[in-house]
Amino acid sequence: MMKSYFVKGLLLGIGLLVGLILAIQVKNLDEDYYFVSIKTMSDLNMEIRQEKEEIEQLKSMIESQENRLKEYQSAIESDGSINDIIIQDIELMRMRSGFYDLEGPGVLVVLKDSERELYEGENPNNVIVHDEDVLKIINDLKIAGAEALSINGQRYLNTSEIQCAGPTITINQMTYAQPFVIKAIGNPDTLNAAIKAPGTYAWEIKEVFGLQVESHISERIRIPKYQGNHTLQYVTAEEGGSL
Amino acid sequence: MIIAIVGLILGILLGLYLPVTYPAALSLYISVAILASLDSVFGGFRASLENTFDTEIFVTGFFSNAVLAALLAYIGDKLGVPLYYAAVFAFGSRLFQNFAIIRRHLINRMRQAEREAQ
Repeated sequence: MMKSYFVKGLLLGIGLLVGLILAIQVKNLDEDYYFVSIKTMSDLNMEIRQEKEEIEQLKSMIESQENRLKEYQSAIESDGSINDIIIQDIELMRMRSGFYDLEGPGVLVVLKDSERELYEGENPNNVIVHDEDVLKIINDLKIAGAEALSINGQRYLNTSEIQCAGPTITINQMTYAQPFVIKAIGNPDTLNAAIKAPGTYAWEIKEVFGLQVESHISERIRIPKYQGNHTLQYVTAEEGGSL
Repeated sequence: MIIAIVGLILGILLGLYLPVTYPAALSLYISVAILASLDSVFGGFRASLENTFDTEIFVTGFFSNAVLAALLAYIGDKLGVPLYYAAVFAFGSRLFQNFAIIRRHLINRMRQAEREAQ
């Protein structure tokens, strides 16, 4: 008798199991049901947020373009031509791309090799200013909002290289030995902080490796124009890509 | 026999109303496992008609077939060979065979009953 109940229970259980799985499977394959994990949910949320941000950006871009258009229109209304505004734009572009000698408030940074004695067995590379150091300091200055930069009198443009050449550094295809004098025009206080604040790269090479890093604020930093040539060999403007 | 059918119906109802879901990636394995267990169910039905039904054989066959089929599908997935076809063919053809035999048994029984009635 016990055995028969056990068998019946077993059969009931198996029937239940088959029915359950069958029904769940049918339901699961139904188009209306999707398995959504928490990860996909957060991914989708992220995507939505990004799209929204992009929309905001596009909106602000439209706004700025409209303002520009208004400027042109008001210029046409008052002067009858938009030459002045276009010339202003060109001047701005030229200043940015190194056609003019520039001046303005900023900082002057001097980088020199360390003069300390080496520890026994210490790598002499530790006390030399490397191309990398200059590169990182330049980047820190850019982060601090530098509008124009020069290294040893070479205007530092977006295409300028900082190349290691033995104990010297090549910038705009001109080779310089240390000391390296970096000039930056921008907000003098933030630029100075980017060099002197504890935790910055410049602070670290000064305090840890003993390199000589000096930073001077000046109300009148002068940065010469770019002396190389401006011709482009490969680049052409994309059609419809201009502002 | 009847109790199994009752269980099946209960299970279907439960499954339809319980809010249980699983990842779509698993649905292939579950499908193959369902096929395997359906084969066991038909086999059991046939055996009970032939009076050779053995609970232990049925239960072990039910679970091991389902597990083996799902495992085969999984290995096939990992190897890039659709091995679950093997399970589908084997269990599918056996399903039809069993069904044919069940049909024959049922028809024979009906004929016998008719003859006895005459």
